[in-house]
Amino acid sequence: MTATLKTVFSNFRYVVLAVVIFISMLFGLLLLSEYVFLEPYVVSHIPDGTEFGFLLIVILSILSSLVIPMNVYRISILKSSKKKMSGGIFGSFIGAAAGACSCGPVGFAIISTFGTVGATASSFVTNFEIPIRIAAIGLLVIVYYTTVRSLKIECRVNHKV
Amino acid sequence: MDKRILFGGIAILVLIGLVAIFSTSNVGDRDLSANRMHGSISTTMGSSVLGNPDAPITIIEFGDYQCHQCYNWFHNTKPAIFQNYVDTGKANFIFVDLAFLGSDSPKAAQASYCAEDQGKYWEYHDVLYVSQESQIDNGWASSERLKAFAFNLGLDMDLFNECLDSEKYSKRVQYNISEAKKHEVNGTPGFFIIGPDGQEQQIKGAQPYSVFKQIMDSMI
Repeated sequence: MTATLKTVFSNFRYVVLAVVIFISMLFGLLLLSEYVFLEPYVVSHIPDGTEFGFLLIVILSILSSLVIPMNVYRISILKSSKKKMSGGIFGSFIGAAAGACSCGPVGFAIISTFGTVGATASSFVTNFEIPIRIAAIGLLVIVYYTTVRSLKIECRVNHKV
Repeated sequence: MDKRILFGGIAILVLIGLVAIFSTSNVGDRDLSANRMHGSISTTMGSSVLGNPDAPITIIEFGDYQCHQCYNWFHNTKPAIFQNYVDTGKANFIFVDLAFLGSDSPKAAQASYCAEDQGKYWEYHDVLYVSQESQIDNGWASSERLKAFAFNLGLDMDLFNECLDSEKYSKRVQYNISEAKKHEVNGTPGFFIIGPDGQEQQIKGAQPYSVFKQIMDSMI
């Protein structure tokens, strides 16, 4: 597993990609979930009782920053299928959406635009925010392991060829 | 004959005018002509002022009783603000509804005004934020539960039930929602800090105490 990670991240471009994904994902999710505020001052805080939600965001960001560059590597270097890549992006997207649709501007815009249907969808995503994030993490873990396994096999095959 | 028709016509017009004025300006028991303004915000239909009415600073919260970020603010930030600013007479506090999250949200807001009729608005407000559950529209703020909260506060249940079932304060809550939208409050909780000279500072979201302190200290 470590060897596979080394193979991918020995290329500096994938390290940069991972850092960009991690920072943008972490910052975006912390902003949406109101752990970070930019106005009127830049400030961050973790209110009591929201520590677990914060931890899930960090895990989600780390996993996304590993899984997506590894799949980009598979596709661009090894010319593999894009199937696992979509799994990684889907997992990241679900995890992000879970925190977006609450009392904040995104939820408000959805409810204002789509009325009752928007309110129902927003309520569902808000009510199951933590389980959805855990499911997204589960999906990313599965994609991570299958990617590592296929990278091992594909790299070996390519090496022999 | 012509005079009778003329007077009859005038009487009908006056009646129509009175009905129109009554239906547009009275929202529940409140009269819009007695407009209470804080900065550019009309708080006439919001809560009563909590704290010193002559305080140099007014904090206006736009909130939803089902919003978990409002719950976070109520439990994590509000106590320190009240201890250092409201209880010391430096600021007062007004709550205005932006009840948008679910079908139980407007009902909960209306119930708070039904409690106000019996002088227990703030007690009821606090009960709602203490009793909030993490899921929206899961029944914690259903009509039955809202009535149970009122019962536990010792309210006259005949008056409360009649008020809630008749949706007496439906228009008042709608007015508050439109006031929030007018001031571009696009999420809850949303705050406006109004200073002694009428200067306004908007705070979006359940921000920590340090942000409120910094703004209010700069205004006093």
